[in-house]
Amino acid sequence: MAFVRTQKEIRQRAPIWLVTLLVANLIIMAVDARDADGRQKILRVWTQTFTSPLQSTSSKVSGATSGFFQQIWNFRSTARENEQLKERLSQVETELHTARQAVAESERLKALLNLNEQSEIKNVPARVIARDPSVWFNTITINRGSSAGVAVNMPVVSGGGSIVGRVITVSPWASQVMLITDEKAGAGAVVGQLGQSGALGSIRGRADLGVALIEMRYVSGLEKVENGDYVMTTGQDGIYPPGLNIGQVVEVKNGTATQAHQILIQPGAQLDHLEEVAVLLYRPPQRSVPEASPQTPERTRR
Amino acid sequence: MSHIKIAVVLSVAIVLQLLLRDVWRPLAYIDFPLVVVVYIALQRDAWKALLVGTLAGLIVDAGSGGLVGAGGFSKTLTAYIIYFAATRVNLENPLLRIPVLAAGSLLDSAIYVFWHRVLGYPPTVPFVQTMSYKLIATTVVGTLALYLLDAIVAERSAQKRQFATRRRVARRSTGPLRRR
Repeated sequence: MAFVRTQKEIRQRAPIWLVTLLVANLIIMAVDARDADGRQKILRVWTQTFTSPLQSTSSKVSGATSGFFQQIWNFRSTARENEQLKERLSQVETELHTARQAVAESERLKALLNLNEQSEIKNVPARVIARDPSVWFNTITINRGSSAGVAVNMPVVSGGGSIVGRVITVSPWASQVMLITDEKAGAGAVVGQLGQSGALGSIRGRADLGVALIEMRYVSGLEKVENGDYVMTTGQDGIYPPGLNIGQVVEVKNGTATQAHQILIQPGAQLDHLEEVAVLLYRPPQRSVPEASPQTPERTRR
Repeated sequence: MSHIKIAVVLSVAIVLQLLLRDVWRPLAYIDFPLVVVVYIALQRDAWKALLVGTLAGLIVDAGSGGLVGAGGFSKTLTAYIIYFAATRVNLENPLLRIPVLAAGSLLDSAIYVFWHRVLGYPPTVPFVQTMSYKLIATTVVGTLALYLLDAIVAERSAQKRQFATRRRVARRSTGPLRRR
């Protein structure tokens, strides 16, 4: 009898619990959405501070797991061989895989170091510790945060110097990066060399395409743009320094005198296979704001 | 289902969700935390289902580029709707779980994307395509995962295992020679 009453109580109280939890989630969502882009999101800093150790650990485990599956795959491919040969082959392939990873990693780190030496802008090398666990967004988490000097809106580049995106949230030991292919990401861009080309415009990600491509808009239809042309940053967006590689033009629908070109760009950075990146400790030059004269309001009134 | 078992299963689901994307990107379409939420909701335990829905959603949101709370909201509501259906319709049949999982995945995606669009944070991927992939992956893998959870975690299966062990022990003590 007591069991029946408990079940009844649970049924009666379930809608109350539901409403309470939904309202709590709604408040959290509203607080998170309230903080506009470009500002530090307090709620996200806290959540990231707690989740970054888990993400870092899972990143290490996933490396080991993929190595393990690779090993099994290798093992299966040589299944018809005799047992001793199979074991030896598996061992050799595992070692080779590890060695290749080490060589590739050292090359990437060398590229980052070269970038550090060549660039006038200081940068912080970082490792990608997590990708977005939901399928709806495409952010990455890196293992450098405010303790390493990283701040919101700092640009992130790959080892080759191509832009990856910008920092959107910073916690003490980790940061979240919005990729350049995100619909909300944007940058001032020019087709060809800055100062030599007049094909200026702005870029933004295209979600509807289903592939990692960037759209370039507002390029005058009178400018000459061809497939294979390189696209660079102009530095006018207040986030990215000028002269960084964005990618290459892969599709152009030519515009007219009154209509802009429709340009699609393949990002220069391999965004699906990022392992190491560098955060540029870049602060855009502050634009001087003309001081408002005290007579201006009076003039307006008149 | 004890609290410890739920905590372990949920942790495994979240870790899998974090890990598998790195191993092979399409594996991210499998929503493991949602499978756990659906499983607990099917057990007709409202409080646990709602709490696990909120927790699972919030933890995934914390590492995601979306809004914190959107996943919590969608999973909580999905858990309640499934719980509500399970208390009124008999969903014990394993075959009936397939449409329940599919509906859960569809509902979760729709609510998640709805709140992002309302609050001005549209997802960066095509909605219909992503929702379809997620539905297929979660339903296929989730059906197998529910069988696995039934076999490992469920109280009834534990009772069955205990009963089988006792029967084996009883048979050993009364072997064919002794029976004669």
